[in-house]
Amino acid sequence: MKIVYIIFKKEMKDMLRDRRTMFFMVFMPFIAIFLVFNLTMRMGMEMENRAREKVMRVAVISQGPVPEFMNLLEGSGEVEVVGPITDSEVRPSLESGEIDFVVRFTNDFQSIMASEGTGSVDVYFMGSVSENEGALPRVRAIIEGYGESLLQRRLGDRGLASGFARPLSITEKDVSSARARIGESIGGMFPYFIILFCFMGAMYPAIDLAAGEKERGTIETLLISPASRGQIVVAKWLVVTLSGVCTAAASFAWLFLVLRFGSPLPREMVTGVMNIVEPGALLLFLAMLIPLCAFFGALLLSVSIFARTYKEAQSIITPLNFIVLIPLLIGIFPGIRLNWATALIPLLNISLATKEIIAGTINPVHLVEVFSVLLVLAVAGLYFCSRWFRREEVIFRGA
Amino acid sequence: MITVDAVTKRFKSGKTAGNRAEYSGDHLTAVDNVSFVCRPGRVFSLLGPNGAGKTTMLRMIATMLKPSSGRITVAGCDTVDEQEGVRGKIGFLTGTTGLYARLTPHEIISYYGELHGIEKRRLEKRREELFFTLGIDGFANRRTGSLSSGMKQKVSIARTMIHDPEVLVFDEPTVGLDVVTSKSIMTLIRGCRDQGKTVVFSTHIMGEVSLLSDDLAIIHRGRLLFCDTFGKFTGGMSAKTIEDEFIGMIEAGEAKA
Repeated sequence: MKIVYIIFKKEMKDMLRDRRTMFFMVFMPFIAIFLVFNLTMRMGMEMENRAREKVMRVAVISQGPVPEFMNLLEGSGEVEVVGPITDSEVRPSLESGEIDFVVRFTNDFQSIMASEGTGSVDVYFMGSVSENEGALPRVRAIIEGYGESLLQRRLGDRGLASGFARPLSITEKDVSSARARIGESIGGMFPYFIILFCFMGAMYPAIDLAAGEKERGTIETLLISPASRGQIVVAKWLVVTLSGVCTAAASFAWLFLVLRFGSPLPREMVTGVMNIVEPGALLLFLAMLIPLCAFFGALLLSVSIFARTYKEAQSIITPLNFIVLIPLLIGIFPGIRLNWATALIPLLNISLATKEIIAGTINPVHLVEVFSVLLVLAVAGLYFCSRWFRREEVIFRGA
Repeated sequence: MITVDAVTKRFKSGKTAGNRAEYSGDHLTAVDNVSFVCRPGRVFSLLGPNGAGKTTMLRMIATMLKPSSGRITVAGCDTVDEQEGVRGKIGFLTGTTGLYARLTPHEIISYYGELHGIEKRRLEKRREELFFTLGIDGFANRRTGSLSSGMKQKVSIARTMIHDPEVLVFDEPTVGLDVVTSKSIMTLIRGCRDQGKTVVFSTHIMGEVSLLSDDLAIIHRGRLLFCDTFGKFTGGMSAKTIEDEFIGMIEAGEAKA
């Protein structure tokens, strides 16, 4: 144990002096989290506001007059009526951006209205313009308002009550708790970020501690010291694992700070979410990361020791990033739940378990299964790494 | 003392070994049935062209590689069964040995001293002695990444000798060094011999061989072509220079193969 501690202490000192590793462990998560939760979110909200506040330029095509509809459009305060235009001008006008929406009443609209039938209205717009997607519900609301007034007139003409044509009034009542809703909506995103940084945080120390040592020629000096291969592996693995855990903790802290002080979300909303998410749930999530980091450590160290150089290790490990991403992305999809089968799939199990831990709906049996799978992976990974490190053809590959 | 008894080293595939000693099917024989003895108080030079099997031989002596067959003992310890014993008694230095660039010489030497289990006070004393002898004091607290090649090699020597090993292995220790630093390493090797240590020295620089060797082995394609005292080698020379004699032996070895 003493030798493991001596190597661990030295590797930690060496790593803490490596600017590149420290950047990826501490500052990279901050930059990424800040960009996602501040700039990207701010831009998204800005786009949404613009779509909401945009004065839409709307042209109306109708064979006969539709004064009531025109009054509704102009009276809404959200629309600038332009035109008139012809059918052949619809596409060029929309493509050029001169007009945002064209509302076209079909040629037989007047006669259908006269016979109290159902008239058709087409709304033309460029769906590829993201602002239009946001503004479309506003145009739709005006048209539906027009439809409602037509309906009320018909009912009035017959002396019928306004509820005659609407016998049912539906009110949706979501009985799930706010905690459960938050778990479902952000529960998947949360591990996605943290685990990704966790992997990146462990990646650079793993490369430096194995492939880097090989490339610099320092591995030989360690191999002929009284330290056994097993002791060397355990010490290095502990450093890599700790790096992953520290990066997760740093990412976690950055996420909290950015959400609390640097996000464009309303303060009450952030505070509300933070009050709902229990500290115990977060601690449980962090506890799951420890065996995961241990597995990452063994995996990354095994790959790194196989590589001849730092560069080769990087080129092998970089694609692993994408492999890590896949189960995490699947975990974000709605509808996928934690059960005995999904609990066996590494990474996906953490993602789904986190959702349920935050929502407070986790089944303890599934949680034990997730922990067991992660622990087995970590132990198997360390065992493999230790055996791998003893193989001459791995250590001296190309030397 | 080092005894190498009928040692052979085969690698599973040529791709996994740098040396290109001898291919046979999917195996590469880097060292083939080699035996020799290195005695205390003498410098044993291992001479051979690139890829002859020198480094593989020295790595086996230093417990980094296991022989495929045969046996090696270092200061009485078997390199396979008593690796820890061997590592405590051997110092290993190569011309390409690296140092931790982000640590200082002081930290590096302390690290290896601690790994060898040297008691703190003894370690401090030994470190001070080595730093004084090798002239490291002036840069002991600078990170090694900022040191010159000569300075780095001095630190490597201190690392090799911190535990005062009875056996020293030098694998091409002067590669890439200037004349002054090379000479100081030669002096150091002679000093170790005079202290009664067993010294194995591998090189392909003939000048260094004639300066240092008490005993000499020539290895080519993993096989020993010559193994005796340096005096017998020079006494039996048919060529005018050591270099020509060495080349002649290699060519004869090639012809036999």
